[in-house]
Amino acid sequence: MERQWTEPEQMLLRMAAKYTDTELAPHDLAMAHTNRYPDGLVEKLIKTGFLTVMLPEAYGGAGFGPEVTAAMIERIAKGSASVAATLEGHYKSVDAVLRFGTDALKKALLPQAASRILAFGMTESTGGSNPMGIQTTAKRVAGGWLLNGNKVMITNGGLAQVYCVLAKTGDQELSVFVVDQDMPGFAFGKREDFIGLRGTPVGEIFLTDVRVDDDHLLGRVGQGGHIGDVAHADARILMGAVLSGIMQHALSLAAKYANERTAGGTPIGQLQTIQRKLADIKISQETTHLLWERAAFAKAQGQPYAELAAMAKAHGSRAAVAACDDALQVYGGYGYSNDYPLAHLMLDARALEIAEGTVEKMRTAIALAELKKEEA
Amino acid sequence: MKIVVCIKQVPGSNRVKFDPITHNLVREGLAGRMNPFDENAIEAAVRLREQVGGEVILLSMGPDATKETLHDGLAMGADAAYLLSARAFAGSDTLATGYILAQAIRQIGGVDLTLFGRQAVDADTGQVGPIVATELDLPQATFASKIQPLAAGRLAVERDLGAVTQTVQLTLPAVVTVRAEANRPRYESPIAIQQSLHKPLTTWTDQDLTLDASRIGQAGSPTVVRKVFAPTPPTRAAKPLPEDPKAAAKALLDILQAQGLL
Repeated sequence: MERQWTEPEQMLLRMAAKYTDTELAPHDLAMAHTNRYPDGLVEKLIKTGFLTVMLPEAYGGAGFGPEVTAAMIERIAKGSASVAATLEGHYKSVDAVLRFGTDALKKALLPQAASRILAFGMTESTGGSNPMGIQTTAKRVAGGWLLNGNKVMITNGGLAQVYCVLAKTGDQELSVFVVDQDMPGFAFGKREDFIGLRGTPVGEIFLTDVRVDDDHLLGRVGQGGHIGDVAHADARILMGAVLSGIMQHALSLAAKYANERTAGGTPIGQLQTIQRKLADIKISQETTHLLWERAAFAKAQGQPYAELAAMAKAHGSRAAVAACDDALQVYGGYGYSNDYPLAHLMLDARALEIAEGTVEKMRTAIALAELKKEEA
Repeated sequence: MKIVVCIKQVPGSNRVKFDPITHNLVREGLAGRMNPFDENAIEAAVRLREQVGGEVILLSMGPDATKETLHDGLAMGADAAYLLSARAFAGSDTLATGYILAQAIRQIGGVDLTLFGRQAVDADTGQVGPIVATELDLPQATFASKIQPLAAGRLAVERDLGAVTQTVQLTLPAVVTVRAEANRPRYESPIAIQQSLHKPLTTWTDQDLTLDASRIGQAGSPTVVRKVFAPTPPTRAAKPLPEDPKAAAKALLDILQAQGLL
């Protein structure tokens, strides 16, 4: 059963499918080789309006809901998981500003989000899943805050122009501030040389006495941990969609190859050992799809979705690595070659066992939620 | 400039079926998409509007599901759309379709330029544009690869005819059919997609137009499809050459000479 989309939703998905197949997928392997987006790719993405998808109409966006946004991300990931991850990073940050930004900040910042990429910087060299261990600080000054610190491994770091930054406002107090690359004291650091999602820039920023006004605080002082959790949950729905898209890509390649490649005069797709792998990939893809879809549905309905989103990513990431490994095996020696996409698909999927919260941390969160339900 | 772009919804897949009796394409239950050349025609129209101002109106004939394709065109930047839909139009061939479209263009009124894609990819005739031009008694340029507005109601059109390129000047109103080489159609932006459903889309039936009943539908269609078949490519037997290179060269030379190719 397929979900019934409204006509504009169908149009968005059709456009995204065509755009992906024509403008993105042909460059995907080259991105893995060169560790960058081809020239002009991001500009074209922005010009076509992909940054506006979930931005509300009141701020100059298209105002699409969380479900179709995730479905679009899945379709894009089928052609390029890197580009899907770049959009994911932007959407989760826009979501954070929408939920927690002051009216003044939203009015000033969100119309720009149609053409400027937003990012969220949490991780530091001391660790990503250990928020109280961060070193970045925000000190109260007249009418605002003074930020100092260094954020690493930011999705779209170096590409994005606006950053939500987690900083300590007290010994055991976290808050989130919005900084702009044009602010004095803002500097970019190095770009990571990651093994997967190699199109997506992941980089670091340095903040040296960056002064922001009061209205650049998201939510309240001390609400940073919660804002981070919400942003993670939003991101994990989209990451589930990315993983499901990666598996669709791997399955399509493996099934095509299994039809063409013969052994002893028969297509290898007729061998039960190969069929078993194709079936397993499909089952993993569908279960991941169902999880992100359920999480997105809950989000659209205003119901709790953090646990479902965590499940989508915790289940989807390991399942996708295994699925891509199966697809690689179907491809045989070619699967192990960098001349073919299977190896990089597996490494793309592998990134998501770590990014946006490790699977270990998510399993803990899921287990704690279940334990709490049964507390006496 | 008031521009009408005639567009067609074609099957979205190559897996099509034909009616065993009429030999016409079975369109029921088939997901449709815009004829790709029509995207070039819309892009050309929107660019002309961006250059000289005016409006872009889409016109299509087909079942209710054609509205989807019209919405796609509206999302590409057209301002309004008309759907011609009636049982009486069913079975219309290119001649009857051209007549109905021409009557609709007359009814829209004040149209300076009518654009078509060079042909539709389902039937590949490329006839409807020229038929409409003939019906309306307007100058026409087919296979346009470049359209340039000139002063005083004229248009320069570069016609890419394969071996030669011809540049013609037309006095408006006129009809032009557009090649894929003319432009790269834009993608519908997410915002334009949302806005497209709020743009005017009017449905006209046979009752809304001034039509000669004998010129529409099956009655107005002299075309008879005798047979539809997939062409079988001619097969020839391969002739292996001897293993020894010298003997192989000699054998190849003999074949080429025997064929009169040397």
